[in-house]
Amino acid sequence: MRAHVASYDLVQPGSLREVLTLLAREPGVYRPLAGGTDVMVVYAGGKLAHTKFVDVHGLRELRGIVVTDDAVTLGALTTYTDVQAEPTLGREFPMMGQAASETGGWAIQNRGTLGGNIANASPAADSPPALLAYDASVELTSTRGARWVSYATYHTGYKTTVRAEDELVTRVRIPRIAPGAQGSRVHMFRKVGPRKAQAISKVSFAACVDVDGTRITSARVALGGVAPVVLRVVATEGALVGADVTTLDVAAIGATLSREVTPIDDIRSTARYRRRVAENLFVELTRKLKAHVGLGSQAR
Amino acid sequence: MTASSVGKPLDRVDGRLKVTGTATFSAEVAVANVAHAVIVGATISKGKITALDVGEAQRVPGVVAVLTHLNAAKVPGADKPTEMTDKVVQVLQNDAVLYDGQPIALVVADTLEHASHAASLVKATYAAEAAICEMDKEIGAGFAPKAAPGRPPPDSNRGDIDAALATAFARVDATYTTPCENHNPLEMHATIAVFQGEDHLTLYDATQGIFGLRKRISKAFDLKPENVRVISHFVGGGFGSKGSAWSHVFLAAMASRATGRAVKLSITRQQMFAFVGYRPQTIQQVTAAASKDGTLVALRHEVTSATSRFDTFAEPSANVTRMLYACPNVKTSHRLVRLDVATPTFTRAPGEASGSFALESALDELSYSLKMDPLALRLKNYAETDPDEKKPFSSKTLRDCYTQGAAKFGWSKRKPEPRSMRDGNWLVGFGMATATYPSRQSAASALARVKKDGSAQVLAGSQDIGTGTYTIMTQIAADALGMSVERVHFDLGDTTFPETPVSGGSQTASSVGSAVKRAGMAVRTKLIDLAVKGKGGPLNGMSAEQVDAEAGVLVSKQDRTKSDSYEAVLARNGLDQIEEKIDEKEKAERKDHSTHAFGAHFIEVKVDPDFGEVRVSRVVSAFAAGKILNRKTARSQFIGGIVWGLGLALHEHTERDPRTSRVVTKDLADYHVPVHADVPDMDIVMVDEVDPYVNEIGAKGVGEIGIVGVGAAIANAVYHATGKRVRSLPITLDKLL
Repeated sequence: MRAHVASYDLVQPGSLREVLTLLAREPGVYRPLAGGTDVMVVYAGGKLAHTKFVDVHGLRELRGIVVTDDAVTLGALTTYTDVQAEPTLGREFPMMGQAASETGGWAIQNRGTLGGNIANASPAADSPPALLAYDASVELTSTRGARWVSYATYHTGYKTTVRAEDELVTRVRIPRIAPGAQGSRVHMFRKVGPRKAQAISKVSFAACVDVDGTRITSARVALGGVAPVVLRVVATEGALVGADVTTLDVAAIGATLSREVTPIDDIRSTARYRRRVAENLFVELTRKLKAHVGLGSQAR
Repeated sequence: MTASSVGKPLDRVDGRLKVTGTATFSAEVAVANVAHAVIVGATISKGKITALDVGEAQRVPGVVAVLTHLNAAKVPGADKPTEMTDKVVQVLQNDAVLYDGQPIALVVADTLEHASHAASLVKATYAAEAAICEMDKEIGAGFAPKAAPGRPPPDSNRGDIDAALATAFARVDATYTTPCENHNPLEMHATIAVFQGEDHLTLYDATQGIFGLRKRISKAFDLKPENVRVISHFVGGGFGSKGSAWSHVFLAAMASRATGRAVKLSITRQQMFAFVGYRPQTIQQVTAAASKDGTLVALRHEVTSATSRFDTFAEPSANVTRMLYACPNVKTSHRLVRLDVATPTFTRAPGEASGSFALESALDELSYSLKMDPLALRLKNYAETDPDEKKPFSSKTLRDCYTQGAAKFGWSKRKPEPRSMRDGNWLVGFGMATATYPSRQSAASALARVKKDGSAQVLAGSQDIGTGTYTIMTQIAADALGMSVERVHFDLGDTTFPETPVSGGSQTASSVGSAVKRAGMAVRTKLIDLAVKGKGGPLNGMSAEQVDAEAGVLVSKQDRTKSDSYEAVLARNGLDQIEEKIDEKEKAERKDHSTHAFGAHFIEVKVDPDFGEVRVSRVVSAFAAGKILNRKTARSQFIGGIVWGLGLALHEHTERDPRTSRVVTKDLADYHVPVHADVPDMDIVMVDEVDPYVNEIGAKGVGEIGIVGVGAAIANAVYHATGKRVRSLPITLDKLL
C-alpha cells in the first residue's frame, strides 16, 4: 500500500554547503534524495522505512560534465540521458552510454542520476560495471572536505559502501588515456536480461581491455548480478594482462573467473544460470579480442 | 443500398475521448460527498485474526469509519454464488483468513491520503496456520469439478484409447505445466457505491458485466434488482478479471450503507494480485499417438488445475483437445486441487490458452518422432466436422489460415533439424500452432430509435472493455438503419438500457451485435412502412420491397429521383421518433452446428546460445473468425492476444513464497510482461469467411483467439532453434542453459 506522504520529512536546502551542514549535524538522519527512481518505488510500495530525506536534486553544483585532457568528470546529478548525449563519453567510453541506454525506460533515464545509482549501491545496477571497467573514481564530500576514492574500493558489501553518513557523492571521474598510448582498446558491455528493455539484469558485464599488437597490456573486467557487490574479477584480469590474444587459454582463465563470482539463487534467476552466463560472457570477450586482432570473425 | 460501414477500419468512435483523457472511467465519475475507502489486506495466508487494533487508524483526521469483522453488517449472500461468474467473497463476515491479501478491514475517510494512511495503521494479530501453495503437495487430494450449466463435462471419452495406443507407430507422453498469471489490466478494479436510503443502490463499477453484477449484488444485499443501477461507460481492460463481482464491490456498498455517503474504492496494483482472480497454474499430461503416415490414432489430455479452499474454478484446458483434430480415440479429464490461495477465474481464453500449449507442444513433439513437418501433421488430421459434438462446423476456413499464414511467413524455408538455422551467433527457430476458440452467443436486447432530426440513438446495456464495442455497434447499427455512422449514437454501460450478457467468452459482438442489427432493421422497416403506407410523400403507395435506405434517406429502387428523408417521414406523420426494442435469442441454426473461430500462428524466435535470451523476431498469424466487423479494432484484438501469448510463453509468472503462500511478485517491476521492444511487427491475416449459421451478423468473436496457441508456437520455435524442449512455462533464460 502506498505510504502516507505526511509521515515523511523532506528538506530542500538551497546549496551544497547547506546540505553538507545538515548531513554533518545529524549524520544518518537525513538520506539524500536525487532522482528518486529507486526511493519512490519503495515509497509507492509502502515499504520505505527511512522517513527523513534531504532533496539534493536541485543543487546546481552537482550538475554538468567537464572534459579535461586527463579525465571526464561528471556531476553526481548527471542523468542517464545526459550520459548518452555526451560526445567524449560516446567516443572514448562507449560502455557508459550503452549502460545508460539500457537502464530502465526513457522516463527513468531522464530522471535517474549516476550519483544516485552509486549511492544506492545495488549489485544489479547497470552503470557500475562500466565505471569499474573504466577505473572511475568517486568524490565524496562533507564539511570535513572532499576526498576521491577509487570506485573499485567503494563497495564493501551488499548495499554497503565506504561513504560516511555525513558524506555526499558529488562527482565521478573517468580517466582518459592519450590516443594510442596503450595500443588499441576493446570495450565490451553486455546486459543479459529477459526483456529487450526495462529488464532488471540477470548478469551484466563490462570489460575494457588494451591491446598492443596481440599482447594484452591492461584489462579491467567487471560484472553485476553475480556477487553481493558489483565485482571486478581481479584474478581474471591478472591472467589476461601480459597474455597474447592469439594463444589465450580461454578455458583456464574462464575457470578463474568462475571461481571469482559468487552468484545466488533468487527470484530473478538461479546461481547455476548466472555462473554459466558469466563464463559465457568471458568467452564472448575473448572472441571479441580475437576479432579485434584480426583472428576469426567477430560474432556479433 | 448505403455503402456498408461494417468491415471498414473505422477509427474508434470513442478514440478522441480516450486520447484526450475525457473518457470517464468508473473511479473518475464525479459524485457528490464521496468518501474514499482503502482495503487492509491480510499478511498471512491461512489462520485466524485474533486481534485487530483500529484505535490509531480511527484517530487519523478525516477517518469516517473503520469496518472490520467485529462491526461490519452481515451480508448473507456473500458466500452463496448462484451464477457461473459469481464468486465467494470475503467481506469482513468472520475472523478467518483464507489467503494472502484477503480483505480484513476497510478504512473510509474524507481523502484517499487519510484513508491510505489510516489503513497502514490497522494492526492485526493472527493465529497463523501452515499454508500450502504448491500443487504437488495436494495432488493426491485432486477431485473432479462439477460441470457448469451449459458447459462441457469435466471428462470425455470417445473410442478406445488403450487399444489405439497399443498399435500406434509413434507416441509422445509428456507433462506440461503453466504457471499462475494475473490479468493486470491498465485500469485497476474500481467502484463508487452510492446507497440512496436503505433500498436503492447505484454502482459505478469497472466491470465486464453490469447485469451480472446487479444480480449478484441485489441478491447479496437483498435489494430489488430494479433498485440497483450499475453504470460502466468505460473499462480499461478486463481480460476476465472484471467478469465477476469481487470483494471490493461488496465492501464499497457496505461502506456506503454504513456511512450514509458515496464511497469510492479503487484497489491498488498490489491488490490486483490478491483478490480479483488470476489464471490458475496447471499440470497437464498429454499422450499423442499416430500411425506411420501421421494419422492421429489417440489423444489423451489430463489436466489438473489449482483452486482455492473455499470456491471452485476449473481451467478447462482439455476441451480444445476434444475438437481440434480428427482423432477417433480421445480421452480427457479435468481435476482440481485446493490450495491456500485466492480463487482463480476466467483469464483471456480460459482453457484454450493454457491447454493449447500442452496439446500443440505435444503435436510438435510427435512431428519430430514421425519426421514429419508440423504443419503437414496438422493438415493430415484436419477435422472436417466437429469430432466431439459430431456436428458440421457452421464454417471453418482453417485450411486457408494454414496456407496463407505459411506462405506469408515462408514456412517452406524451415530446415527440419533442430539447431540448424542461424543468424550470426543467434540460433533461429520456426514454430507454429493452431488456434481455436468457441463462437458463443447469448440472449441480448437492444433498442434503436430514429429521432425527428434524422439522427439515431441505439442502446444496449453491454460494456466496452477496450475492445471497440462502441465502434462496431455504431457500424452495425448504421448499416441496419440505412444511415451513415456520423448520424448514429450508440450508448452502453447502464443497467437502465436493454439487458445484455457479460463481455466474456468473446461473445459481445455476436450477442449484442445481433440484437443491435435486428433493432436497427426493425426501425428501418417501420420507416419504410410509414413512407409507403402513411401520410402522402413521394414513395407513398409503393411496396416496401421497392424501397431502399441510403444515408438516412429512403429511395425508390426503380426511380432514384424519388426519395424521402427519415426526418420528412417522421414530420409528415407527426412523430417525434420511431423506436424498436429487440430481444434477440441464440440463432436457431446454432443447435445443428459447431461454432468456432480458427487460426494459425507462425512464429520465428532467435535464441542466444550463450545466455538463453529468447527474442521473438517475426509473427505471422492468420485467423478465420467469420465476418470481420472492423479491420482495425479486430487487428488490435488479435495483436493484443498475441502479445499476451508472448508474455505467457516467456515472462509471466505470479510467484509465491512456498513457505508462506504469499505472492512475492506484486507489481509490474517483478511481474514481467513484454515491453514494446520485445514485440515485433506482427503480420495479421484475416481470412474472409461467410457464416450464415453462427449468428445474425456472421461474426465469430475475436477477443480471445489471438492468445490461443502462441505459447506452443513459441515453445516449438525455441525447440527448433535450440533442440531444448521446454514443457514448463514461462521459458525463462535459465531453462535454456
